[in-house]
Amino acid sequence: MTDRRDADLPPGHDLLDGRLSRASLLKGAAALGIGMSPLLAAACGGGSGTSASTPTATGGPQRGGTLRLGFVGGGTAETVDPFIGVTPIDEGRIQNLYDPMVIVNPDLTTSPGLALEWNPNADATVYEVKLRDGVTFHNGKTFGADDVIYSIQQMSKPANFGSYPFVSGIDVNNMKALAKNLVRIPLKVPDADLAANFTYYNTWMIPAGFTDFKHPIGTGPFEFVSFTPGQQSLFKKNPNYWVTGKPYVDELKITSISDPTARLNALLSGQIDGMAQLPFQEAKAHQASGDINVLVAPSPQAMMFYMDTQKAPFNDNRVRQAMRLIADRPALIEGAISGFGTVGNDIAGKGLPFYDTSLPQRTQDIEKAKSLLKQAGQDNLSVLLQTSDIFPGFVESATLLAQQAQAAGVKINLKQEPASAYYNPSLIYLKMGFAETQWPMLSLKYFYLQSLSSNAPYNETHFKSASFSNVLQKAIGELDKTKAQDYWNQVQQIQYDQGGYLQWVNADWVDAVSKKVAGLKPHAAGALGNYLFQDAWLQA
Amino acid sequence: MTAVAEPRAVRRETPPVLAFLGRRILGGILALFVASIVIFVALNILPGNPASVILGRNATPAAERVLTQRMHLDRPATTRYADWLGGFAHADLGISAVSLAQGQRTSVWQQISGPLKNSAILAAIAALFMIPLSIGLGVIGPIFPGKPVDHMISIFSLAAIALPEFVTGSLLIGIFFVALDWLPPVALVPPGGSPLDNPSELVLPVLTLLFASLAAGVRMVRAGMTEVLQTEYVQTARLNGVGERRVLWRYALRNALAPSVQVLAQNLQWLIGGIIITENVFAYPGIGTELVNAVQTRDVTVVQSVAMLIAVVYVVINLLADLVVMLLVPKLREPA
Repeated sequence: MTDRRDADLPPGHDLLDGRLSRASLLKGAAALGIGMSPLLAAACGGGSGTSASTPTATGGPQRGGTLRLGFVGGGTAETVDPFIGVTPIDEGRIQNLYDPMVIVNPDLTTSPGLALEWNPNADATVYEVKLRDGVTFHNGKTFGADDVIYSIQQMSKPANFGSYPFVSGIDVNNMKALAKNLVRIPLKVPDADLAANFTYYNTWMIPAGFTDFKHPIGTGPFEFVSFTPGQQSLFKKNPNYWVTGKPYVDELKITSISDPTARLNALLSGQIDGMAQLPFQEAKAHQASGDINVLVAPSPQAMMFYMDTQKAPFNDNRVRQAMRLIADRPALIEGAISGFGTVGNDIAGKGLPFYDTSLPQRTQDIEKAKSLLKQAGQDNLSVLLQTSDIFPGFVESATLLAQQAQAAGVKINLKQEPASAYYNPSLIYLKMGFAETQWPMLSLKYFYLQSLSSNAPYNETHFKSASFSNVLQKAIGELDKTKAQDYWNQVQQIQYDQGGYLQWVNADWVDAVSKKVAGLKPHAAGALGNYLFQDAWLQA
Repeated sequence: MTAVAEPRAVRRETPPVLAFLGRRILGGILALFVASIVIFVALNILPGNPASVILGRNATPAAERVLTQRMHLDRPATTRYADWLGGFAHADLGISAVSLAQGQRTSVWQQISGPLKNSAILAAIAALFMIPLSIGLGVIGPIFPGKPVDHMISIFSLAAIALPEFVTGSLLIGIFFVALDWLPPVALVPPGGSPLDNPSELVLPVLTLLFASLAAGVRMVRAGMTEVLQTEYVQTARLNGVGERRVLWRYALRNALAPSVQVLAQNLQWLIGGIIITENVFAYPGIGTELVNAVQTRDVTVVQSVAMLIAVVYVVINLLADLVVMLLVPKLREPA
């Protein structure tokens, strides 16, 4: 869950004005949880929103020390079970205890992880996967085909809600170890890119027969020492890690600090070395002051408004298109998330394979929106937009969109829903006509299967079209890259022309590390350099 | 205290202190019983099945069915209530609902015992300063009525009472960390560690709690003292040539304190409320942080148990306050 207490604090920086240097004023504003006024930001030279600042290393990597990191906590819900992890703090732990079969690079291309080759048959219904030799688990067991089979079977249990969607297309009872390092994976439906299902941390590898997640065992760069959910975990360096020379630090300590101001204060005072989820306004301030390194990673994570394509007035495509033309996306990005993102084009997944870059960028066009609404007989449209503060930027973007819509004569009434109900399908989720959402984008396949296919579990727009589902299935099953791209373009064209999503931004990951930390680079796939703490070292 | 019994009957009864205490304990148990019903009902009539609320976005029918069984939600509410209360009475707080959702069994006690200890230490230190300071500052004012020191204490306590903990905490961080860099702005006590290992980390949280809770006590003691100092028996004592110091400490303070004890007790209870906010500001791993997390992850069993524990603390503090009042006011110790 996100935390959102920073807005609660009253302005108090007047008290400190005039007595402090600019740098400490910035630090003060942040420490007190006060967002800088645009005026102050301008006076300080501001900071370009999308530039990524990378820690600069002096000399080569240094060894030793404890890397201490602060994340938003999840209380008793925190887990080191890869198949049910949900929040960034889970991801940070899981990615350092276990390893993936496929590694995602900072630019979203992939490299071999524990699996070296993925060889499909002609119709992409059976795969032979060749595994990496010489990898051992923390308990000394050698990694092999039996571990892959066991892990996938565990993932396929419905109770393992994190992993289940990734392996639901696999015929898990007929997998077979062909050799110690070769496994045969049959599928229920053709899938041209099975490897893409095994990048996300919910699908990482555990040893065969393993069940005791109170003492987790993986092949990852760090070994388990202790873990108290909602408080702290301590891992130590895996001396036999298969990536030679890594990790650099001896210990990894991850602490739950839910309040964003407290998390930042802990970083500023040197009690932690890095933090995930730096609030946007404070990121601006600290980019300008340079007292900590702000990590900004452009990423395809999508923030969107969505309209129910089956419910009036949005069952009329002209109304949906009008709403998409009403949005002033750059203004939304600047106003709602302080500029930390790139404009969205209503088809999520910018930067991922098969994303259609040829579709023209949609921009605000009030006149066209008005005429579309007129054609639809909705000149005096008044709609309800349900928002929630569950993600930073949701309420802000909804408020801004409501203001922008006035120009087209559309009245958007806002209703703020409780965060706990917003994504709960037995309460209001999937029942709202017009609302907001956020999607971590791993692959187009993942997003479309989860949100837009005929049996998608999270069909927020209630998009139903037999021909669309048909093309989507072809796109997923096509081995020929050119043909696949063609199918994917058709899929995206349909969403671009008729869909219910209004994607206004591909939001950046915004995190921070102290000046001591080197080696972590902004990474499109996740927060804090995608949690690759084996790459990090501490400068003396 | 309205019982006007006949002398003979009184002699046969238990001593009044014990009778009074017995009544109070019974009252306390009754209050806890009512609180337990309120807490249970409030958490169980929330919209939606608690299992689905915990699962949130992952509330598939299959997952919901499994969790419903694991949480025994298929049993009648009265049975679940009796199970919970029975367990609580035997210091068994049950299993965290969220851990059940994850196929694990984390006992609530195991989860909250560390934070509970941390909070108790924080509250005890704050109380240790709060009570003598409330009395001290409350007494000084009336001794020098209208003097600068009286005004200063009044203004200071008014200002402090007006500021909620998160503002006070932020201001203190602004002064002692940002501007002066004397004290750490967060208190990250590791699991299994003691907050006392790093006393400097405790200074700002304790100060925050003190600011918020001190003022009401100071004002109450001051009012009591002012009133008592104008009574006839104090005047008489003075006219009889009793020394001013003796008048203050032996005659006035004792009587001024009786009404203040209840206020101090209320302050202690308020301190517990303040701890929840203060802990969050300073990332202090206590029961407040645990409660906030449990609410956010919708861990019903943890919320239920923490709420009940807080109710127990309230009742115990009230009981102790009654006892102290009895010791201070001899009248209450004698048969009516």
